[in-house]
Amino acid sequence: MKTQLQDYKHPEIKPVWCPGCGDYAVLNAVQKALASLEVKPHELGVVSGIGCSGRFSHYFNSYSLHGTHGRALPIATGLKTAREDLTVLVAGGDGDGLAIGGGHIAHAARKNIDLTYIIMDNTIYALTKGQSSPTSHPGAHTKTAPYGVYEDPLNPIAMFLSYDVSFIARTTSLKIKEMEKLLTDAIRHRGFSIVYVMSPCVTHKSLTYDDIKSHVPSLPEGYDPTDKFEAFKYAYKEEMYMGLFYKQEKPTLNERLESIRKEVTGSSYNKGHTMTTSQIMEEYL
Amino acid sequence: MSDQILMKGNEAVGEAAIIAGCRHYFAYPITPQNEIPAYMAKRLPEVGGTFLQAESELAAINMVFGASAAGARAMTSSSSPGISLKQEGISYIAGAELPCVIVDMMRGGPGLGNIAGSQSDYFQATRGGGNGDYRVLVIAPASVQELADMTVKAFDLADHYSIPVMILGDGFLGQMSEPFTLPEPSGKTFDKPWALTGAKGRKPNIIASMRLTPEDLLEKHNLELQKTYQEIEANEVMYESYLLDDAEYVIVAYGTSARISRSAIGELRKEGIKVGLFRPLTLWPYPYKELKAVSDRAKKVLTVEMSLGQMVEDVRLAVQNDSKVDFYGRTGGMLPVSEEIIRKVRSYGG
Ligand SMILES: Cc1ncc(C[n+]2csc(CCOP(=O)(O)OP(=O)(O)O)c2C)c(N)n1
Ligand code: SF4
Ligand SMILES: [Mg+2]
Repeated sequence: MKTQLQDYKHPEIKPVWCPGCGDYAVLNAVQKALASLEVKPHELGVVSGIGCSGRFSHYFNSYSLHGTHGRALPIATGLKTAREDLTVLVAGGDGDGLAIGGGHIAHAARKNIDLTYIIMDNTIYALTKGQSSPTSHPGAHTKTAPYGVYEDPLNPIAMFLSYDVSFIARTTSLKIKEMEKLLTDAIRHRGFSIVYVMSPCVTHKSLTYDDIKSHVPSLPEGYDPTDKFEAFKYAYKEEMYMGLFYKQEKPTLNERLESIRKEVTGSSYNKGHTMTTSQIMEEYL
Repeated sequence: MSDQILMKGNEAVGEAAIIAGCRHYFAYPITPQNEIPAYMAKRLPEVGGTFLQAESELAAINMVFGASAAGARAMTSSSSPGISLKQEGISYIAGAELPCVIVDMMRGGPGLGNIAGSQSDYFQATRGGGNGDYRVLVIAPASVQELADMTVKAFDLADHYSIPVMILGDGFLGQMSEPFTLPEPSGKTFDKPWALTGAKGRKPNIIASMRLTPEDLLEKHNLELQKTYQEIEANEVMYESYLLDDAEYVIVAYGTSARISRSAIGELRKEGIKVGLFRPLTLWPYPYKELKAVSDRAKKVLTVEMSLGQMVEDVRLAVQNDSKVDFYGRTGGMLPVSEEIIRKVRSYGG
């Protein structure tokens, strides 16, 4: 039986985001992408960090884990290594993913673990009511930058490219069809994929629908997502380009671990129960 | 089967974890426990398991969080500064009521300290550095054999109560090679209906350590946790008594300090001094009642630690007579000296 959008929605827990929050569109697009891929809800794990966006995992009719602030990626890594058969999604905000948990992205990329990481960037810490985030605009007034943000914002796409994340896309809560398509491709991608969504916060107004409407060109016709230098070029453009920046095929973490296991299973460096003192002496002396 | 083998304490922990069915181990290197990740890196793939060198202790404990949520037997290990970093994750795992095993081979502190064995993280282990009303079951072995046996037991206790269990050793114990017999798997199995296993046809499981609504939900959750903790206090206290039947003087020590105390007791007994050892094997739950009974019959209770006085606070709570309680400790990677213990106990007689 085909899965329907409804199958992915939690039967009792409804989103409590503010009316108009960009994250609704992301949730909807993710669930539509899952339906189009016919991922069974009972074969799906959703891990989220802490933040408004971090509430994501509660809204699924699937296996969900609401973890530690900034640690959604390592938690998902543990989950995925223990249950390789699950489709595992990770969701969180710009603060969760790029500030407190920023160090983990590089290492998920190095392993190319088969996860899809959805980052909802509203350029603010929304849950804690409006402090600066690593992507806050210079000059923006926030609770912790009453005289204007004086730090430079991160360039997440350029960061992901230099980490060699094997699937990198950027979209917005406004481009529902594009978001759905990119999410579908990301979930289908074998390896670590990031879908970076510019998702407005209507309450703190750090990122508004007007902001993203006015300057979000799509990557040009004929753009080659396997060309990393081209990707860097577009990542550094003044305008915020949207679309699939980069895609690369390489072995996933599980494939890497499996090939080691195949090689050494049975060869036994040390067979627990039958090992004797003399064997150990041989090994260590 | 009962062949004696020779291994370092750290390696024995690794092999025992594998015997216990642990197939998921995540860690970040730190001396003096590096033999554990090295052993697991080599050994786990042979048995179809997963070893990942995490990018930090924060990552490692959260990987354990994820693997445990999936129902796997998961372990991490570290030493003092690394355990400091794991505290947040331990609190979340305790809050989410998930089982796991954490090994701490303590080293000298505070701060980076040094890499020699120490027992100055008794507070950290038994009082927890993480936030909230939670407990970690703490087992403090004193030999390679006991490290191995208790590692197997730790997995069963963790699964039985769905809580984090800590094996608290120190650098000396981890580095020491001793002949020992590999433990047998316990053969116990545990249902984990809460796990994120993707099983079809049942309500989806959500694991969270956050409880925002309704208002009293978090208190209720805490009261449930306390029930588990009371059950553990009632059933899981472990300790060893050595020459206590006629003891006028009691030495209380755990782990490496207990080994040193034991040799001092041997000397003192030759002199006819009636002294024995009370060795807590679980530091939480602490054997308060048992120590109280022993100390009621004794004239003096000497606590020996590789710290400047941490467990002694529990000893005072147990003995309930501060004038009876004496303390001797060395810290910063230094070992208590047997002669000093002997001198102290002799002085009680005259
Ligand atoms: C260790 C820790 N520090 C701080 C917090 C408080 N906190 C919760 S969410 C958050 C930031 C959320 O920002 P972001 O990740 O951008 O998510 P958003 O709410 O904007 O979706 C902070 C600082 C916490 N929960 N845990
Ligand atoms: S505060 Fe902002 S990010 Fe949070 S739910 Fe409301 S609109 Fe969304
Ligand atoms: Mg944010």
